Amino acid sequence: MKELNPLLHSQLRLAVISILMNVEEADFVYLKEKTESTAGNLSVQLDKLSNAGYISVEKGMSGKRPRTICSITPEGRKAFEEYVEVLKTYLNI
Amino acid sequence: MEDRKLTEKESLEVITSMIALTKQRYIGDGRIMLMWGYLVATVSILVWIMLATTHQGYWNWLWFAIPIIGGIATPIMAHKQHQQNGVKTFSDTVTSRLWTIAGISEIVLIAACIVFEYAFGHNCWSAMLVYTLIAMPLAEIAQGLFIKEKSLAAGGLTGLAVGIVTICCVVAGIPLIANWFMPLFIIAFVAMMIVPGHILNHKARKEA
Repeated sequence: MKELNPLLHSQLRLAVISILMNVEEADFVYLKEKTESTAGNLSVQLDKLSNAGYISVEKGMSGKRPRTICSITPEGRKAFEEYVEVLKTYLNI
Repeated sequence: MEDRKLTEKESLEVITSMIALTKQRYIGDGRIMLMWGYLVATVSILVWIMLATTHQGYWNWLWFAIPIIGGIATPIMAHKQHQQNGVKTFSDTVTSRLWTIAGISEIVLIAACIVFEYAFGHNCWSAMLVYTLIAMPLAEIAQGLFIKEKSLAAGGLTGLAVGIVTICCVVAGIPLIANWFMPLFIIAFVAMMIVPGHILNHKARKEA
């Protein structure tokens, strides 16, 4: 049986990718709120996904406050779809 | 939520729960719609009163307040709304493009009416009313169907009904007299923008 992508087989990273699969873009605050994670942990996981090329992270300003916007890349979309396909074989769906 | 390994079953739960979370909102609030609704209604009432009391056609220039004020306020409000939401979905993009196309076509039509009047001496401003009452309701119906919001579809259908009456009158040569047409025009915008706008705001407040 094929192994599940270890980068996605983690609670927070999988949650982030699942959200980004369903929206065009989401900011850091939205992701933090929906995943109920801490800022530090989320930041680390976003870096890992970004380094793998699964998400793009754009840092900008919203007024005087910094704003980080994330969106899924085609590679991330493909990786998620493959992950779901493998997951189906594990769960016999 | 933490950075921990999952069982396969837990993975499926994470995926389905996150998908459910992203599907929760996406009707959005009705602030922009309300701005347009009240703007059109206010300007229409003002033009109607001024025309009725002074009988001077130049008060029709007040109509230009609608695209000017609305055109400036809309991108500012949309930008603020997007930042508050923290997320942009496919439906946000489709809706935004739909209204952008409707808005740009209105501006092009205004330009065409000006050219027809001042270059060729033909008054075709009634085309503005017809187009507004056909294009805007169709955009609203499309948005309503896309985000599955009945109040938008119902408002759009009401506006479209007024639009059909208007186009028939124009083609049949029945003059659009302010005394009956202006109330009809205002009712159309109340049904299309103000009522759905308040319903969307109410729903957005309940969801928050």
